[in-house]
Amino acid sequence: MFIFLGDMLVMAFMIGLAIWLGSRGTKEALDRTSRIPLEDED
Amino acid sequence: MEAAENKIYQDKIVIRLIQFSVVWAVLAISAGVYIAAELVWPTLDFGQYWLSYGRLRPVHTNGVIFGFGVSALMATGFYSVQRTSHVPLFAPRLAWFVCYAWQLIVLLGALSLLAGWNTTKEYAELEWPFDIAIAIVWICFGVVFFGTIAQRKIKPIYISNWFYGALIIVIAMLHVVNSLALPVSIDKSYSAYAGAQDAVVQWWYGHNAVGFLLTGGFLGMVYYFLPKIANRPIWSYRLSVVAFWAFVYAYIWAGPHHLHYNAIPEWVQSLGVIMSVILLAPSWATLVNGVMTVSTAWEKLRTDPALKFIVLSLAFYGLATFEGPMMAIRSVNVVSHFTDWTVGHVHSGALGWNAMITYGTFYFLVPRLAGRELYSTRLANIHFWLAFAGTMLYIIAMWAAGVSQGLLWLSIDGLGELSFDFKDIMASMTPYYLLRLIAGLVFLLGTVLMAYNLFMTLKGQRAVKVAPPAVDPAYGVNA
Repeated sequence: MFIFLGDMLVMAFMIGLAIWLGSRGTKEALDRTSRIPLEDED
Repeated sequence: MEAAENKIYQDKIVIRLIQFSVVWAVLAISAGVYIAAELVWPTLDFGQYWLSYGRLRPVHTNGVIFGFGVSALMATGFYSVQRTSHVPLFAPRLAWFVCYAWQLIVLLGALSLLAGWNTTKEYAELEWPFDIAIAIVWICFGVVFFGTIAQRKIKPIYISNWFYGALIIVIAMLHVVNSLALPVSIDKSYSAYAGAQDAVVQWWYGHNAVGFLLTGGFLGMVYYFLPKIANRPIWSYRLSVVAFWAFVYAYIWAGPHHLHYNAIPEWVQSLGVIMSVILLAPSWATLVNGVMTVSTAWEKLRTDPALKFIVLSLAFYGLATFEGPMMAIRSVNVVSHFTDWTVGHVHSGALGWNAMITYGTFYFLVPRLAGRELYSTRLANIHFWLAFAGTMLYIIAMWAAGVSQGLLWLSIDGLGELSFDFKDIMASMTPYYLLRLIAGLVFLLGTVLMAYNLFMTLKGQRAVKVAPPAVDPAYGVNA
């Protein structure tokens, strides 16, 4: 039971972390980053 | 002269790694075809130990995963990390050491397997001297990769580098922990773990080698080369970031699904099932992202063989990442485990996903690196259909064989005894094994065509010199 509860807590933390990391950054900054492979050669 | 060389991307090493990767693909797939033939005609080992199935099978898997796969990941990782960081490779001499030392490990490792050196751990068969060498070279690979990122000229670290970075860090961790052993001679060691613990550690390694090398590493390839080939940015960069973290977190727990109905605690097996099913979300997030990225470039599919391979690889990626979690569910696993269904599943990933994405990337990269058109687009298109046909035939044959085996083995009579003899069940598999052999030959033929096509494209050419572009101040490390 404790192992299960511990696992659920870790899972909740990681889901929260993924959502937090995914929500960081402005749309403009993410759009600019997504264009890196298209603008990386002279 | 040296100063000028320092200002261009280090692409000669990329070409050399692609060449090694293609050579390993031909050799390792040939070994696979040979052992497929041995399953139809067992006397093909001619009484020689080194030609036996038990010795050739790990040569096939090690050659495909570590020779073909890792060389391709090193090549594409080195190519993309330079460009997404806007700097040439960090420590190029160390990178060359990594390139050649890795090939030497795979070559000598294959010879040691033929000689009978074997830890008996799947995908970690090489004995302790090779384990130490692998750890050293892998750390050097990490130094080159992360050193390049550390000296980058632009602030954001593009998503492909997160996947390649996770590949390097997690594989180092898995390899070192799983390989801990007590050597008793040059060719023999005993694992530091015993019994069920050994099994749990082995499948923590085995499953995550599939996860972080054969899935994560190749996702790095998708996130860089798909936008590049389609000439469109990834559909949702935010989704790719969420998918990365969810993928990294979920995958590491899923290994115990390889040990259902074994002597490990039931809650560990259940945890493996839960995390495997959760994995569907990040896996398909990338699938959706990839398909949506290419959805505005369908017209290129008609003319660009590289894009054809990559789009088909995404379809097989979707198939394999759906099938995997389903096979992790205990009531499905009771049928599929220890049958050829597992072999079919692995090959829908290895042929349909890993090989196709790599072939597509090579068809894109080699002409660019050589500074000329692909030698023959027609040959590449023929290769595409051979690869598609070979993969489909392979997995359909193995699905049919596996489901038959699973159901026949579960069949018991009124007295509770097996309805069918194991030997008779295996004898009835011959038609499926023959189909699998034909499928392997078709796939191998396509790979040989690609090797010839790429060789002719590169023949007499030197790597094109490409310099990093000027850095947009908005991107700059000091922005």
